[in-house]
Parts: sequence; structure tokens; C-alpha cells
Amino acid sequence: MATTLFDIAAEKLEESSEMDQLEARGTLRLAVKEAGLDVQNLTIPQLQAVFEKLMPKELEARGVSDAAATCKAVMKDIASAASAADLSASNSPDEIFKRLGGS
Amino acid sequence: MEENAYIASIAAGIFFLVAGVRLLRLHRRTGERPELLLGLYFAFSGLYYLGYNIPNLFQIDTWPYQLDLLVEWTFVLGVFPYLFFIRSVFRPDDAWGGWIVGACSVFLLAGTVLTTDGGSVDYSFGNPWFIVQWLGYTAPSFWLGWEALLYRQNATKRARIGLCPPIVANRYLLIALFGGFQVLACLGDLSFANDINGDQAISLFTDAILGGTEIASVAVLWLAFFPPLFYTNWITRRAVILPTPMDG
Repeated sequence: MATTLFDIAAEKLEESSEMDQLEARGTLRLAVKEAGLDVQNLTIPQLQAVFEKLMPKELEARGVSDAAATCKAVMKDIASAASAADLSASNSPDEIFKRLGGS
Repeated sequence: MEENAYIASIAAGIFFLVAGVRLLRLHRRTGERPELLLGLYFAFSGLYYLGYNIPNLFQIDTWPYQLDLLVEWTFVLGVFPYLFFIRSVFRPDDAWGGWIVGACSVFLLAGTVLTTDGGSVDYSFGNPWFIVQWLGYTAPSFWLGWEALLYRQNATKRARIGLCPPIVANRYLLIALFGGFQVLACLGDLSFANDINGDQAISLFTDAILGGTEIASVAVLWLAFFPPLFYTNWITRRAVILPTPMDG
């Protein structure tokens, strides 16, 4: 099975926190869903927004110490490790609907 | 159809034509397929609306069958790019999306050929192929409305974390409303089919619904494709964007 950005991010989260694999993947999956994103088609900017805006709260709720630092560490790792797995969002429905309205 | 409904229909036709031309011009600039497909749909729809209403506008009693046929096929040809637009934007990787496109295309072609066969266009419940054609052109609007509503839900969530402009999230809602209004207009066609069989009881109500859905369709498309600055600002101001916890 191909490695997705979600897999990479979950693995980095597991390494940077005291969470096990199941907990890391589950927590990230919940945050991605809360962000209205599709686990299979994540892009780096989307993951960064998830780790900036939603994950700190999720990690704190699960008792991870220094959630903000953990998120920063994961984001740094993702940016360097996942460039090959990044997907272009130029023809995503959001981009199309943006163009259609001239904005 | 009542006079006011014709006026609404002609106004909708002109607006659809303008929207279609604008999207086709956008396609010339971007070279992207979605604007081409939607532009063709609106251009064909605009021509259909105008063609359909010409006999009523100019009080023409006898309208050649060939022109009826031309107007009918103008409409039908517009539904194909509409279907491909919905598929390519919302379900490009789902096989079932292709099945819906295929089924609607078969319904449209078979329904139109067999509804217009025999020297007249027969829109009545006495002609079962009319129902087949009706399904072929109503299902795409229902599909568009449903998909846009689903995308609207997630786009609102994305907007909260700054991943989707609030005006784009709102545009999904406007397009969902457009799909819904078109389904209502299609339901009006069933009422007209019923009227042809002799029962005129609900025709006035249908006229009002039809006029209303056309005006409402124009309104939502105007906000979606030609958003005035005050509307964009209003939607943007109302949007709730989460702060970044790490900044705080």
C-alpha cells in the first residue's frame, strides 16, 4: 500500500509523543475529519494547518506533555520527509469553485 | 404558462446565457475543463429557455415541429456537459459516478428520441418515455445539489482553519441551492405533463413555483458567479476562523 502524507504524519506524531501507533493515527484522523479534509488526499499546507490549529488541543486533551512543541516538531519533520508524497490541489473542488466566482 | 412565468423564464434564459459566456471566456484564459463544461451547460440552457419562450413572447400559434425539435435538443445537449462537470469536480475517482453519468445519458437520449418521435413532442404521462427523459435531466440537478451540500459541510470546517476562503465555502451552498431550485423546476414539468392530460387544477400553482425557482436560480447564480463586493465582504466578516493556539 502506498504511503500517504497521513501515514507519514501519524508516524512522526508517534515518534514525537508518548502515543502508540493506534492512538497517534486515531487522534490525527479525528483532527483531519474535524478540519473537513480527506485522509487520503492531504497536502502539506493542509496538514500544517491541522497541526497548527487543531492538534495542540487534541494532544492536550490526551495528556501529551508540551503539545505545542510536539506539533512543531512533527510539522518540521513532515515538511522535510513528505515532499515526494505531496499532492497538487490545483484542480481540487475548492480551487475550481474559487475560479468560477472569479476570486 | 402564465405571462409572469414567461418573463421569469426569459430573464433566466438571458442570465444563463451571460453566465455561460463568462465561464467559456474563463475557460479560454485558464484552459481548464470544469469552466468549459459548466459554461456549455449554461449557454445551452440559456438558448433553450429563449427558444422555448419565443412562440409565447411573439404570440406565434403555429410553431414548426423542426424548431421544437431543435429547441428540445439544445436543452438535452446542455445536460451532458453538466453531468461531466459534476462527475469531474466531485467524483472523479469513484466508479459509481461514471455509472450515474452513463445512466442519465442513456435515459436522456432514449427519452428524447422516443418523446420527439412521431411528428410532435409529447410531454404527457401518456408517453412513458417522457418520464425516462425527465429522470435523465432531473437526476443531475439532484446530484449537483447533494454533492455541493456535502462539500459545503467540509468546506465550512476547512474555512475555520484558514484552508478554504469563506466565500468559496458559501459558493458550495449557492450551487447546492441552484441544484435544489432546478429540481423544483423539473417537478413543475411533471405538473405540466399532468395538465396536458386535461387536469388544469394545479397549473397556476406550478406557474408560480416555476417563476419563483427561475428567479431564485438567477439570484443564487449571480451571487456565485458575479459576487458583488458587499456580499463577499459580508460572508468574509461572518466567517469564524480559529486562532492558532501556538501563537497564543
